[in-house]
This record gives sequence, C-alpha cells and structure tokens, in this order.
Amino acid sequence: MIDHRQKIIGEDTALFEHIWKTGKGFYITVSILGALVLLGLYAYITQYRTGLTVTGLSRQIFWGVYITNFVFFIGISHAGTFISAVLRILKAEWRRPISRASELTTVFILMFGVGSVLIDLGRPDRMLYAIRYAHFRSPLLWDVCSIATYLTVSSISLYLALIPDIAMLRDLGGKREWFYRILSLGWRGTEGQHRRLEKAIGFVSVLVIPVMITVHTVVSFVFAMTIQPLWHSAIFGPYFVVGAIFSGVASVIVVMAVLRKGYHLENYIKPVHFNNIGIFLMAMTLLWFYFTLAEYITIVYGNEPVHMAIFWSKISGKFAPLFWLHFVLCFVIPLPILAIRKYRTIRGIVIASISIILGMWLERFVIIVPTLTKQRLPVEGAYYIPTWVEWSILAGCISLFMLLYVLFTKVFPIVPVWEVREGRKKAVTMVSERIKSYLPEQETLDK
Amino acid sequence: MQFDRRGFLKITGLTLLGLSAKPGWEVFSKIDQPEPSPTAETLAKIRWAMVVDLKKCWSAKEGCRDCIDACHRIHNVPNMGTLKDEIKWIWTEPYEKVFPEHELEYSEEDYRHRSVMLLCNQCDDPPCIKYCPTRATWRREDGIVMMDFHRCIGCRYCMAGCPYGSRSFNWRDPRFFIKNINLEYPTRVRGVVEKCNFCVERLAQNKIPACVEACKEKALVFGDLKDPKSEIRETLKFKTIYQRQPELGTKPKVYYIL
Repeated sequence: MIDHRQKIIGEDTALFEHIWKTGKGFYITVSILGALVLLGLYAYITQYRTGLTVTGLSRQIFWGVYITNFVFFIGISHAGTFISAVLRILKAEWRRPISRASELTTVFILMFGVGSVLIDLGRPDRMLYAIRYAHFRSPLLWDVCSIATYLTVSSISLYLALIPDIAMLRDLGGKREWFYRILSLGWRGTEGQHRRLEKAIGFVSVLVIPVMITVHTVVSFVFAMTIQPLWHSAIFGPYFVVGAIFSGVASVIVVMAVLRKGYHLENYIKPVHFNNIGIFLMAMTLLWFYFTLAEYITIVYGNEPVHMAIFWSKISGKFAPLFWLHFVLCFVIPLPILAIRKYRTIRGIVIASISIILGMWLERFVIIVPTLTKQRLPVEGAYYIPTWVEWSILAGCISLFMLLYVLFTKVFPIVPVWEVREGRKKAVTMVSERIKSYLPEQETLDK
Repeated sequence: MQFDRRGFLKITGLTLLGLSAKPGWEVFSKIDQPEPSPTAETLAKIRWAMVVDLKKCWSAKEGCRDCIDACHRIHNVPNMGTLKDEIKWIWTEPYEKVFPEHELEYSEEDYRHRSVMLLCNQCDDPPCIKYCPTRATWRREDGIVMMDFHRCIGCRYCMAGCPYGSRSFNWRDPRFFIKNINLEYPTRVRGVVEKCNFCVERLAQNKIPACVEACKEKALVFGDLKDPKSEIRETLKFKTIYQRQPELGTKPKVYYIL
C-alpha cells in the first residue's frame, strides 16, 4: 500500500503536502479571513436593509468604490489567462508550475468582479431583469455576455488541467476518494487520453485570449460609451486591457510568493520564474505609462473647458493627492525595481507588485470618481468619502477570495503535478530538438 | 443497435438540447418589444415641449419655488434634507453654470447669478435611454422620456448617460420623507432612479403640467410643437432660443428665451 502511494507521489511530496497537512497557520489564516468575510457580510446586510445611503455615494457622485472594485477585480482576472494561455501558446516551459495558481486567480477574482456590480445595484432583487428584459444597446449587457463567457471558458480551462491531478489523488485513496473519482472523469493516463487533453487545453487556450481582450474592452466601454468628460475616450479599450494585464500579473506574482513561502514550494517556484515575470511586468509598466501619457496629453492639447476642469482637479485640485499617489505607485516605484538587475530579486519584485496593485486600484478610482464631480453641470459641495460599509465590503471581498483560494489548496494541488512531471520527462528533449530545428542545417554549412 | 457510453452521452445530450430549444427560444423571444399601445399613432402626431421665459421668471420675487413645490407635491418627491440623498425633478442653478458658453464678462446686465429653472430636457435623442440594461427608461412617441420604477434595477447607468444631471436616485426609502402622499401618483421604493416626466399622468387627463399651472408669472409655456397654431409655437416665433448644450446633439425640448 505504502509502495503504491510512494509510486504516485514520487519525488513531489511537497506538491501534495499542503492538501494533507493542516498546521496552526492554516487555522489562524482561515479564522482571520473568515472574520473579515463576516464583517463584509454584515456591511452588506446593513446596506441591503437601509439602502445605498449607508455608502458615501450621492446624487452627484453616484459611482464609487463598488464600481472601482468591479473594474479592478475584473482587471486582475486577466493575468491568469495571460500567464497560462499565452505562455502555453508561446511554448514557454517555465510556465508549468505557476499556470494553475494564475488560472485559479482568474476564476475566483472574476466572481468578485461580477459581485461588485451586484452589490452596487439599488435593487439587487431585480438583477435578473437584466436577462429577462435584456436591452442589448446597453454596454452593461455586453459586459454580462463577455464576462459570462470568460468565466465559463476560464473555468473549463482550469478544470481540464486539473483532471490528471485529480486522478492521482483518486488513486492515492483515502476518505475523499469518491469525490475525486467523480471529478476525474475516468482518467487513466493513457496515450489517447493525453492526446485528447492536450488538444482540448490547446483549443481552450486559444479561445480564451480573444475573450479576455473583449472582457476588459467592454468593461472600459461602460465609461467610454458615455459622453462624460474624460470617460468618452477611444483609447479606453486598449488602455483598460493594458491596465488589467498590468495589475493582474502583479497580483499573480504576489500569489506566487505567498504560495512559495506558505507551502514550501521553493523547489518549484524558483527565482527564475519571478525574474521572467518581473521583466514582463516592467514592460507592462512602460506600456501603462505610454497609454496614460497618450490619454492625458490629447486632453491637455485639446484644451476643452469641460475636460480641463476634470484634468486640473486631478493634477492640482482635490484629487491631486490620489492622482499623484497612483502615479508613484504604478510607475515611479516599480520601474527602477524591475529595471535594475540588482533590485529584481523576489523581494524586490513582490514589493513592486504590491505597489502596482495598490496603484491600479487607485487608478480605477481616479478614472471613475473625478469625472462625476464635475460633469457638464457641476454642483457645489459634491464630495465623496467612502464609508465603513464600502471599505468593509472591499475587505470582505478580498478576504473571501483568499479564503476560497486557501480552501482550494486543501483539496487540489496548486502546482500542476502532471505538468511538472511532463516537463521533467519530455520537455528537455523536446526543447533541445526545437532549438536544433532553429539552427541552420549542418549539411548546408559543410558545403 | 449498440451504444457505448460515449454514444449514449452524445444521444442524450443532443436530445436534451433539442427538447430545450423551443422553451429556450420562447424565453428569449417573449421579452421583445412591448405591444405598441393603441394610442401610439395618435401620440406620434404630438411633440410636447416647454419654454422657460427667463425675464418673466426673474420678475417673480426672489426665491420663488412655486413650480418646484407644485411638481414635488403631486409627484410625491421626497424632501430628503441633505445634498447627498437629494431627489429633485425641478431645480435651479445659476445662469453662468447652465449656459457657460454665454460669455457675460462685458454684458450690461449681469445675469450670471440669476437662477435658471432646470428639469429633464425630454430630448429628441435622449442619451440616457441607450444605457438602461432593462429598458426601464424609454422614449414615448410624443417625445416624453418615460421611467418604469418597477423595472429599474438601480444600476444608475442612465445617470451617467444623462449630460444634464436630470436624474435622481433613491438612496433610501423615500416614503418617510414625503409630507402628504398624493395617492393619485405612485411613490417610489428605495434603489430606483426617477426624474421629471412632463406630467404624463396629467396630460392623459388633458391637463397641463403642474409647474406650468403653478407659475404666477406665466413664465412657463407648454404645448405641442407639431401644432402650428399652438401657444408654444407663437412664443418661439422670432425669438432667440437657448437650449442646454445643443452641441451634444440630444435636441432638448425645453427651450429658454431671454
């Protein structure tokens, strides 16, 4: 029996250990997160009973933290696809140990993106009217369609890559065998099954990329399709997609670092992973800066009074502290850390990523709120200070995300065992063959 | 005929898909356009509009609120007491803010701080209705931009769509903030959007809007633009007419003359 188990686990004990071993740290984490989730739940119940008046929102500034969360969470969800699907297609071998962690981030955080809109509704009891009386001229309906597609496709992609690992857990036996047996769909690891799985994963990876791009494009369209100053911008689609990948990749880096430390995966998630993603993140930092510059410089040069009023409120007016803070967090801090080899250590990259995550939340806020204070008819005394309800719900959402993540790792391995093994077995020869095929043919050289 | 498991699943799946096709289709086809009301054609012959004669309006005593009070009373508009939760169908703003494009620096008469009455513009091409995910707001054939309080899900996207700030949201239950409830007009629940409806319920009884009736200075003129002999057409003749932000292409049907 022990031999049989040992054969399945092999040298990858560390990848299974977090499922079986439940230490003190786990209980502490779960209780803290659980408490924060309860706080968020309490805040939402308060809001549900009294109405949205318990938030800081007002007639003038009617969208705030919740809509910021919506854009922010959906933005983060882009990284999973990016890291797992794009790197898979590009045949980047180093993706193997981190692909599941990033896909899981996508699937879980996406639910909170959707949830944030529902929390923002005045009549959440009527939310299904958006389907029953669907009006497809409304960009919100475009969101409903593309986000639903994205959630489906990325869940399928996550599940497909889980099947061989579930089968391994099934074969290990134990109390939960029946559960793994159902989910493993009769996986036996035959040649034919592997071929079909590879085909399916390849297909989903290709499919999910355009879906991902449409998702954040239509999220930006919620704003860009209105004629409000500084929202009505043609650049918003790509700008939001870039911002989404930017903040998403940063989030995945933080997730990777936490998993590495918490579950002792140092042997699997190595400095090289952080370094490679760190370089990519640096490219995204520059791209983000380019889009931000392009967005604002056209406004300034055009010099239309309606737009300039909001522009100045960001640059030197009452939103200036937030605007400059977001700029520092998104650009000034991360760029040198990521660009200079000496600082691009795991710690440095994680610091840069946290800075980017905070900065990108602020970026969404600074895009949404200032426009509402000075629309075409500015109102004296319009202000917006989020209340404890909004902060608690934000904390609750993030905690519930983490809690779901932690619970997932108690059931499934977070590093795809079969992919790592496949890499170990086949990839070295495959890659060296591939590299040989890039080289000029030996015979032609001889001649 | 022999089935393996795969074949069985395929057949089952296809059968289920086939069986669900018709009900599925019905779910999505049923929700289509509402039946055109029998009066649609009659309504299409009308185009309601309002003129605000600012000189007459300003001849009233300072701080006159007759139109606002009349409107808010009959439509059960609550007085929330704070700027944050405020709900308003008619309100005023200083001239310089309403018409920022009118440079008044060297004008003899200083209108800048005079109040201008504002309400929903009942645009010919209303931007707000495009954004509603549930068609809770739409344009009626006679040009009135309608609002269905029972279908509104409270996403406030129409508020983002309206460039005139004409829409208000019920941040809390408004019923506690209405002094005397008018039983002939519905009250709202919390979490829905509302705005001026050009007194559509009074028009149905051949009455003019409440604000027009309430104005002692006769500063408000209401009528049918498509009727060449109407009072509103007479009023608009040979006058310089202002609309709020006509450059947005919404074609507002509330006119201002000075």
